[in-house]
Amino acid sequence: MLGVTLSRWTMSYFALALLALLLGELALTLGWGYPRPPLNAPDTLALVHLLALGWLSLLLAGALQQFVPVLVARPLAHPRWSLPTLLLLAGGTASLVAGFHALASGNPAGRFALAAALLGAGFGLLLWNLLHTLWRARPWALPARFVATGLFALALALLLGLDFLSVLSGAETGSWAVALLGRGVPLHVIAALGGWLSLTAAGVSYRLLAMFMLAPELERRGSRAAFALAASALLLAVIGGAVLVIAGHDPRVPLIAAALAGAPALALYLRDMRTLYRRRQRRVLELNARMSSAALVALALAAALMLPAWIGGDWQRWLPAIAYLLLFGWLGGLGLAQLYKIVAFLTWLETFGPRLGQGPTPRVQDLVDERRARGGFVLYFAAVALAAAMLLADRPIVFRIAALMQLLATLAIARELWRTRRLRHLAAPHRVPPPALLFVRGTSLSPPENRP
Amino acid sequence: MNADNPAADTLELARAALRTVIDPELGYNIVDLGLVYAIEQDAAGGVHVRMTTTTRGCPATDYLVQGAQQALQQLPGCTGIEVELTYDPPWSPERISPVARLHLGIDRASAW
Repeated sequence: MLGVTLSRWTMSYFALALLALLLGELALTLGWGYPRPPLNAPDTLALVHLLALGWLSLLLAGALQQFVPVLVARPLAHPRWSLPTLLLLAGGTASLVAGFHALASGNPAGRFALAAALLGAGFGLLLWNLLHTLWRARPWALPARFVATGLFALALALLLGLDFLSVLSGAETGSWAVALLGRGVPLHVIAALGGWLSLTAAGVSYRLLAMFMLAPELERRGSRAAFALAASALLLAVIGGAVLVIAGHDPRVPLIAAALAGAPALALYLRDMRTLYRRRQRRVLELNARMSSAALVALALAAALMLPAWIGGDWQRWLPAIAYLLLFGWLGGLGLAQLYKIVAFLTWLETFGPRLGQGPTPRVQDLVDERRARGGFVLYFAAVALAAAMLLADRPIVFRIAALMQLLATLAIARELWRTRRLRHLAAPHRVPPPALLFVRGTSLSPPENRP
Repeated sequence: MNADNPAADTLELARAALRTVIDPELGYNIVDLGLVYAIEQDAAGGVHVRMTTTTRGCPATDYLVQGAQQALQQLPGCTGIEVELTYDPPWSPERISPVARLHLGIDRASAW
């Protein structure tokens, strides 16, 4: 058959990712990390990596192991690597966060070396698994091209990160390695945030939003131009920038060129997303699609804020709010919104898929209670907007109140995800034993009670 | 019962049986969603179904095919069941029946 099996450990990735998000929001609420210490302070770096690796990268890694096979209609090349990959990434993230935390007070060399080994191995396994799966299914449709380029960006971000860790742990003292740490941090951020996380999220959104809203899959000239411009921006910024830094020059020129390519790419992407919403066949939008549109607004807002920062040259003032909108509004908001749908969909497949044709089965929508979840999502996006505004207004106390609101909202959403997974919203006629919380028991087509 | 054409009865029963299988995402049966392209019966009494899914590579694909097979197993007098998955032609919302369209709130089903 052409079907795709369920990814066994994706729920564990999601659970750990949510835990990292909650810890990050708790840290912001308690004033640990920016804005109390500066942007480049050790605790801020620890917090940023907890969110970028622990929350967003684990979320995306778990989702892609289920989603890439859907994109290319082929099974994952190495499904057994999923659990070791998760353990390596989680351990590496914990070591890295601990290393940054120790940077101010002690000797982080051992933790950085461990983090480099674990993250290098974990992302290496993930990249090989996903790229091998994609490679066997060429030629690629547009969403797969976005995802493949996002994975290439992950490799670049990883290489730069490993270089930084080798210098910070004292293992590498070569001049180009030190130069990259000195001037290459923006390239690492662009590769990770703009490439790995954003390009992959964009690729996923092209396919998932079309699928869930019954909208036509877009692959028109503007969509292809969006991809070509975004990929060019990535190459210019990261590879062009790195070459100049290693040669001892300022990477400003390729960064400006990348911005000139990236701006129209973003505009074309947002236009495509608007087209998807306008041409959808399902008039009544489900919660995940409504909340995904809020994430797209956050992306547009973050992009708009770059304009005054660029014109005024005052990045120090604007960058924290822009980064917050990108991390929590665009990537985090889209992640939570799609998580709400994906958890219900995968739980349905695992529980009721084998029962199809044997009697009445509920719908995926019967596993959720959108009315209960809506409040959590609205509070989440309102809190993100308030927090970004307070970063801009330099009001740290109100910022921490907004972070607390965001933490409570995330807890409410996480509770709804848990209730969905435990089949708590399901009406009595359909009640069956819930699946395991954190993994798929088996990928057999037979119902759980019939399995040996 | 249609005494003149028993095959027609079997095909109607098969169609009714397939209506018990839903697409989980849309929450409606696969017949009215237009996911069943053909139901045929051969001379020996075997039933052959050609069906598709709303999107290629959907994780529900194998479950839908197996669900169709399980639903058809309850057919009386059926000597064999074959469910064939096809993406030629690809599915589009214009295949959705008017009743299902009304239920799903799809006000204008057009080709993609």
